[in-house]
Amino acid sequence: MPEEVMAEIQSPTLENSTERIASKPGNRVAEMAVLGSVLFAAGGHLLIKSGLNALKASGLPSGVVPRVLSYLLQPAVMGGLAIYGIGTMLWILAVSKREISYLFPLSALNYVVVALGGKWLFGESIPGARWLGILVVFAGVWLMQRWGAGESQ
Amino acid sequence: MSAMTMLWSSILLGGIAQILLKCGVSGAQKSKDGKAQRWWLGLLTSGWIWAWGLSFVIATVLWLLAVSQLNISYAFPLLSAGYVLVAILSRIFLGEKVSWKRWAAIAVICLGVVLIAAH
Repeated sequence: MPEEVMAEIQSPTLENSTERIASKPGNRVAEMAVLGSVLFAAGGHLLIKSGLNALKASGLPSGVVPRVLSYLLQPAVMGGLAIYGIGTMLWILAVSKREISYLFPLSALNYVVVALGGKWLFGESIPGARWLGILVVFAGVWLMQRWGAGESQ
Repeated sequence: MSAMTMLWSSILLGGIAQILLKCGVSGAQKSKDGKAQRWWLGLLTSGWIWAWGLSFVIATVLWLLAVSQLNISYAFPLLSAGYVLVAILSRIFLGEKVSWKRWAAIAVICLGVVLIAAH
């Protein structure tokens, strides 16, 4: 993780830190935090999926409560949830830095990372139209941070 | 509740959750005393943050219930309505200025999400 993002997580409220960092030319703390949040959230999802796949292979107990418990106690599922939690903290950090109407659409990158991860880790297929969608999301995200960023707060 | 009602409630509540989160972190930022731990812990005492967490959990449960009855490739692109919703809500409740360039980027991202759901 980039140093300036680490510094922000450790001390988001240092005297005037918002103004200090946001006024730096070319500052990208919020964008880095969004990217980190997307990678952690998607990584968490993929880890949860691999845990569920493992459970499926070894057989599931019947009944809703034992089944939900076996989901939650599966090590990869627990790890995935923890990683997802880190992603959520990075998202909170990003939201504290920039406007929500700018940041929220950027989180669509999540779908891209999950689709690519699903292909590489689980051999899920990505049909042509989905590749196009991935490209279009990238284009939209590029457009947003290039032209839609506006004033930082 | 029908599956479609649950789907749209989930999208609406998920959008509202983002506005609540923004209110929560904006409030927390005003009390600057230099301690990071205090900033993060301060979030736990914020009613906005609890409202965000609750909305988020309910929206997730509604989503899971809805997609258990609907085709995921139908339900999934509708999530992108959340970007439009958040832009509108942020304008009304947070006074964010959503420029036409930002709207254009939102439209492109929505199109991309719709295409990702294709198969």
